[in-house]
Amino acid sequence: MTDHRTLVTAAAGDDPQQGLRAVRALRELADRLETLQVRRARELGWSWQQIAGELGVTKQAVNKKHGRRI
Amino acid sequence: MFERFTQSARTVVRDAVVTAEELRSDAVDTRHLVVALAEGAVAVPGPVATALRSVGVEPADVAAAARSAIAAGAVLDGEALASLGIDLDAVRDRADAVFGPGALERAARPRRRRARTRPFTGDAKKALELSLREAIRLGDRSIDAPHVLLGVLRADSPGGRVVVALAQDAGSDLVAVREALERERPAA
Repeated sequence: MTDHRTLVTAAAGDDPQQGLRAVRALRELADRLETLQVRRARELGWSWQQIAGELGVTKQAVNKKHGRRI
Repeated sequence: MFERFTQSARTVVRDAVVTAEELRSDAVDTRHLVVALAEGAVAVPGPVATALRSVGVEPADVAAAARSAIAAGAVLDGEALASLGIDLDAVRDRADAVFGPGALERAARPRRRRARTRPFTGDAKKALELSLREAIRLGDRSIDAPHVLLGVLRADSPGGRVVVALAQDAGSDLVAVREALERERPAA
Protein backbone atom coordinates (compact mmCIF):
# COMPACT_ATOMS: atom_id res chain seq x y z
CA MET A 1 0.00 0.00 0.00
CA THR A 2 2.74 2.41 -1.00
CA ASP A 3 0.29 4.83 -2.61
CA HIS A 4 -2.06 4.86 0.36
CA ARG A 5 -1.91 8.63 0.74
CA THR A 6 -2.57 9.12 -2.97
CA LEU A 7 -5.59 6.86 -2.73
CA VAL A 8 -6.90 8.69 0.31
CA THR A 9 -6.75 11.93 -1.63
CA ALA A 10 -8.35 10.26 -4.64
CA ALA A 11 -11.25 8.86 -2.63
CA ALA A 12 -12.03 12.36 -1.45
CA GLY A 13 -13.00 13.05 -5.03
CA ASP A 14 -10.25 14.41 -7.27
CA ASP A 15 -9.96 11.30 -9.44
CA PRO A 16 -13.36 9.91 -10.47
CA GLN A 17 -11.93 6.49 -11.32
CA GLN A 18 -10.43 5.96 -7.86
CA GLY A 19 -13.41 7.54 -6.14
CA LEU A 20 -15.92 5.36 -7.96
CA ARG A 21 -13.79 2.28 -7.32
CA ALA A 22 -13.90 3.09 -3.60
CA VAL A 23 -17.68 3.57 -3.69
CA ARG A 24 -18.19 0.24 -5.42
CA ALA A 25 -16.02 -1.55 -2.87
CA LEU A 26 -17.84 0.11 -0.01
CA ARG A 27 -21.23 -0.86 -1.44
CA GLU A 28 -20.16 -4.48 -1.84
CA LEU A 29 -18.85 -4.57 1.73
CA ALA A 30 -22.02 -2.98 3.12
CA ASP A 31 -24.13 -5.44 1.14
CA ARG A 32 -22.32 -8.43 2.55
CA LEU A 33 -22.44 -7.14 6.11
CA GLU A 34 -26.17 -6.50 5.71
CA THR A 35 -26.71 -10.08 4.55
CA LEU A 36 -24.82 -11.42 7.57
CA GLN A 37 -26.54 -9.15 10.07
CA VAL A 38 -30.04 -9.77 8.72
CA ARG A 39 -29.49 -13.52 8.70
CA ARG A 40 -28.28 -13.42 12.30
CA ALA A 41 -31.14 -11.20 13.44
CA ARG A 42 -33.62 -13.65 11.90
CA GLU A 43 -31.91 -16.55 13.64
CA LEU A 44 -32.20 -14.64 16.91
CA GLY A 45 -35.93 -14.30 16.30
CA TRP A 46 -36.16 -10.73 15.05
CA SER A 47 -39.20 -9.90 12.93
CA TRP A 48 -38.82 -8.43 9.45
CA GLN A 49 -40.47 -5.31 10.87
CA GLN A 50 -37.78 -4.90 13.54
CA ILE A 51 -34.97 -5.47 11.04
CA ALA A 52 -36.51 -3.02 8.58
CA GLY A 53 -36.79 -0.45 11.35
CA GLU A 54 -33.10 -0.67 12.19
CA LEU A 55 -32.09 -0.52 8.53
CA GLY A 56 -34.37 2.45 7.95
CA VAL A 57 -36.29 0.80 5.12
CA THR A 58 -39.75 -0.68 4.72
CA LYS A 59 -40.58 -4.21 5.78
CA GLN A 60 -41.39 -5.03 2.17
CA ALA A 61 -38.00 -3.83 0.98
CA VAL A 62 -36.04 -5.91 3.45
CA ASN A 63 -38.21 -8.95 2.87
CA LYS A 64 -37.85 -8.68 -0.87
CA LYS A 65 -34.09 -8.37 -0.62
CA HIS A 66 -33.43 -11.02 1.99
CA GLY A 67 -36.60 -13.10 2.33
CA ARG A 68 -35.69 -15.74 -0.20
CA ARG A 69 -32.04 -16.01 0.75
CA ILE A 70 -32.50 -16.52 4.47
CA MET B 1 3.11 -30.18 -19.93
CA PHE B 2 4.96 -29.33 -16.69
CA GLU B 3 7.62 -32.04 -17.12
CA ARG B 4 9.87 -29.59 -18.96
CA PHE B 5 9.49 -26.87 -16.32
CA THR B 6 12.59 -26.21 -14.22
CA GLN B 7 12.37 -25.97 -10.45
CA SER B 8 12.21 -22.16 -10.61
CA ALA B 9 9.40 -22.22 -13.20
CA ARG B 10 7.45 -24.70 -11.07
CA THR B 11 7.95 -22.41 -8.09
CA VAL B 12 6.45 -19.55 -10.10
CA VAL B 13 3.33 -21.57 -10.88
CA ARG B 14 2.97 -22.68 -7.27
CA ASP B 15 3.52 -19.15 -5.94
CA ALA B 16 0.89 -17.84 -8.36
CA VAL B 17 -1.64 -20.23 -6.81
CA VAL B 18 -0.59 -19.14 -3.31
CA THR B 19 -0.98 -15.49 -4.34
CA ALA B 20 -4.50 -16.20 -5.63
CA GLU B 21 -5.41 -17.85 -2.34
CA GLU B 22 -3.89 -15.03 -0.34
CA LEU B 23 -5.74 -12.36 -2.36
CA ARG B 24 -8.90 -14.49 -2.34
CA SER B 25 -9.09 -14.47 -6.12
CA ASP B 26 -11.45 -16.98 -7.70
CA ALA B 27 -8.87 -18.13 -10.21
CA VAL B 28 -5.21 -17.82 -11.12
CA ASP B 29 -4.65 -15.49 -14.04
CA THR B 30 -1.59 -13.95 -15.70
CA ARG B 31 -1.46 -11.17 -13.07
CA HIS B 32 -0.89 -13.81 -10.39
CA LEU B 33 1.85 -15.32 -12.54
CA VAL B 34 3.43 -11.86 -12.83
CA VAL B 35 3.26 -11.33 -9.04
CA ALA B 36 4.94 -14.71 -8.53
CA LEU B 37 7.62 -13.99 -11.15
CA ALA B 38 8.36 -10.51 -9.82
CA GLU B 39 8.37 -11.44 -6.13
CA GLY B 40 10.53 -14.44 -6.95
CA ALA B 41 12.91 -12.07 -8.73
CA VAL B 42 13.02 -9.83 -5.67
CA ALA B 43 13.62 -12.72 -3.25
CA VAL B 44 16.20 -14.53 -5.37
CA PRO B 45 17.59 -12.23 -8.08
CA GLY B 46 17.98 -14.27 -11.24
CA PRO B 47 17.56 -13.82 -14.99
CA VAL B 48 14.10 -12.25 -14.69
CA ALA B 49 15.39 -9.61 -12.23
CA THR B 50 18.40 -8.86 -14.43
CA ALA B 51 16.27 -8.61 -17.57
CA LEU B 52 13.70 -6.29 -15.98
CA ARG B 53 16.35 -4.03 -14.42
CA SER B 54 18.20 -3.83 -17.75
CA VAL B 55 15.15 -2.04 -19.19
CA GLY B 56 14.76 0.18 -16.12
CA VAL B 57 11.98 -1.78 -14.42
CA GLU B 58 12.23 -2.77 -10.74
CA PRO B 59 10.79 -6.24 -10.01
CA ALA B 60 9.32 -4.93 -6.73
CA ASP B 61 7.35 -2.30 -8.68
CA VAL B 62 6.05 -4.99 -11.04
CA ALA B 63 4.88 -7.07 -8.07
CA ALA B 64 3.16 -4.08 -6.46
CA ALA B 65 1.47 -3.02 -9.72
CA ALA B 66 0.23 -6.55 -10.44
CA ARG B 67 -1.12 -6.92 -6.89
CA SER B 68 -2.83 -3.58 -7.25
CA ALA B 69 -4.37 -4.63 -10.58
CA ILE B 70 -5.74 -7.79 -8.95
CA ALA B 71 -7.19 -5.81 -6.03
CA ALA B 72 -8.85 -3.33 -8.40
CA GLY B 73 -10.66 -6.17 -10.18
CA ALA B 74 -11.73 -7.96 -7.01
CA VAL B 75 -15.32 -7.70 -5.87
CA LEU B 76 -14.20 -6.85 -2.35
CA ASP B 77 -11.50 -4.32 -3.17
CA GLY B 78 -9.33 -4.03 -0.06
CA GLU B 79 -7.13 -1.34 -1.57
CA ALA B 80 -10.06 0.90 -2.44
CA LEU B 81 -11.54 0.39 1.02
CA ALA B 82 -8.19 1.33 2.56
CA SER B 83 -8.44 4.60 0.66
CA LEU B 84 -11.53 5.33 2.75
CA GLY B 85 -9.73 4.35 5.93
CA ILE B 86 -11.39 0.94 6.12
CA ASP B 87 -9.15 -1.99 6.95
CA LEU B 88 -10.77 -4.90 5.11
CA ASP B 89 -8.67 -7.43 7.00
CA ALA B 90 -9.91 -6.01 10.30
CA VAL B 91 -13.53 -6.14 9.11
CA ARG B 92 -12.97 -9.71 7.93
CA ASP B 93 -11.51 -10.73 11.31
CA ARG B 94 -14.49 -9.20 13.08
CA ALA B 95 -16.98 -10.89 10.73
CA ASP B 96 -15.19 -14.22 11.20
CA ALA B 97 -15.46 -13.80 14.97
CA VAL B 98 -19.18 -12.97 14.96
CA PHE B 99 -20.52 -14.99 12.02
CA GLY B 100 -17.97 -17.79 11.67
CA PRO B 101 -14.86 -18.28 9.54
CA GLY B 102 -15.19 -17.15 5.92
CA ALA B 103 -18.54 -15.45 6.59
CA LEU B 104 -17.74 -12.37 4.55
CA GLU B 105 -16.82 -14.44 1.51
CA ARG B 106 -19.90 -16.63 1.86
CA ALA B 107 -22.12 -13.55 2.09
CA ALA B 108 -21.33 -12.68 -1.53
CA ARG B 109 -24.34 -12.66 -3.81
CA PRO B 110 -24.60 -16.06 -5.42
CA ARG B 111 -23.36 -15.03 -8.86
CA ARG B 112 -21.67 -18.35 -9.33
CA ARG B 113 -20.44 -21.06 -7.07
CA ARG B 114 -17.00 -20.50 -5.65
CA ALA B 115 -14.65 -23.30 -6.50
CA ARG B 116 -12.72 -24.87 -3.65
CA THR B 117 -9.59 -25.16 -5.75
CA ARG B 118 -8.26 -22.25 -7.76
CA PRO B 119 -8.49 -23.01 -11.44
CA PHE B 120 -6.28 -21.30 -13.98
CA THR B 121 -8.00 -18.82 -16.25
CA GLY B 122 -7.79 -19.21 -20.01
CA ASP B 123 -5.17 -16.48 -20.29
CA ALA B 124 -2.95 -18.12 -17.64
CA LYS B 125 -3.19 -21.53 -19.32
CA LYS B 126 -2.41 -19.94 -22.65
CA ALA B 127 0.60 -18.10 -21.17
CA LEU B 128 1.98 -21.37 -19.79
CA GLU B 129 1.48 -23.08 -23.15
CA LEU B 130 3.17 -20.15 -24.86
CA SER B 131 6.12 -20.42 -22.45
CA LEU B 132 6.67 -23.93 -23.84
CA ARG B 133 6.38 -22.53 -27.35
CA GLU B 134 8.93 -19.82 -26.50
CA ALA B 135 11.38 -22.42 -25.20
CA ILE B 136 11.03 -24.45 -28.40
CA ARG B 137 11.44 -21.33 -30.54
CA LEU B 138 14.64 -20.42 -28.67
CA GLY B 139 15.96 -23.96 -28.88
CA ASP B 140 15.91 -24.44 -25.10
CA ARG B 141 15.36 -27.86 -23.60
CA SER B 142 13.63 -26.68 -20.47
CA ILE B 143 11.19 -23.97 -19.44
CA ASP B 144 12.61 -21.55 -16.90
CA ALA B 145 11.15 -18.45 -15.21
CA PRO B 146 12.15 -16.12 -18.11
CA HIS B 147 10.24 -18.37 -20.54
CA VAL B 148 7.15 -18.09 -18.36
CA LEU B 149 7.34 -14.29 -18.49
CA LEU B 150 7.93 -14.48 -22.25
CA GLY B 151 4.81 -16.64 -22.43
CA VAL B 152 2.82 -14.07 -20.44
CA LEU B 153 4.07 -11.32 -22.77
CA ARG B 154 3.53 -13.30 -25.96
CA ALA B 155 -0.20 -12.65 -26.13
CA ASP B 156 -2.07 -9.62 -24.81
CA SER B 157 -3.04 -10.43 -21.21
CA PRO B 158 -3.84 -8.53 -18.00
CA GLY B 159 -0.53 -9.63 -16.46
CA GLY B 160 1.44 -8.71 -19.55
CA ARG B 161 -0.14 -5.27 -19.64
CA VAL B 162 1.14 -4.56 -16.10
CA VAL B 163 4.71 -5.30 -17.19
CA VAL B 164 4.41 -3.37 -20.46
CA ALA B 165 2.95 -0.32 -18.70
CA LEU B 166 5.91 -0.18 -16.29
CA ALA B 167 8.37 -0.68 -19.14
CA GLN B 168 6.78 2.22 -20.99
CA ASP B 169 6.97 4.38 -17.86
CA ALA B 170 10.69 3.63 -17.83
CA GLY B 171 10.98 4.72 -21.46
CA SER B 172 11.22 1.15 -22.71
CA ASP B 173 8.75 -1.14 -24.48
CA LEU B 174 7.50 -4.69 -24.92
CA VAL B 175 10.08 -5.58 -27.57
CA ALA B 176 12.94 -4.47 -25.31
CA VAL B 177 11.58 -6.49 -22.37
CA ARG B 178 11.28 -9.59 -24.55
CA GLU B 179 14.80 -9.12 -25.92
CA ALA B 180 16.21 -8.69 -22.41
CA LEU B 181 14.48 -11.88 -21.23
CA GLU B 182 15.82 -13.81 -24.23
CA ARG B 183 19.31 -12.47 -23.56
CA GLU B 184 19.29 -13.23 -19.83
CA ARG B 185 17.64 -16.64 -19.92
CA PRO B 186 19.90 -19.40 -18.67
CA ALA B 187 21.42 -21.48 -21.46
CA ALA B 188 19.86 -24.91 -21.26
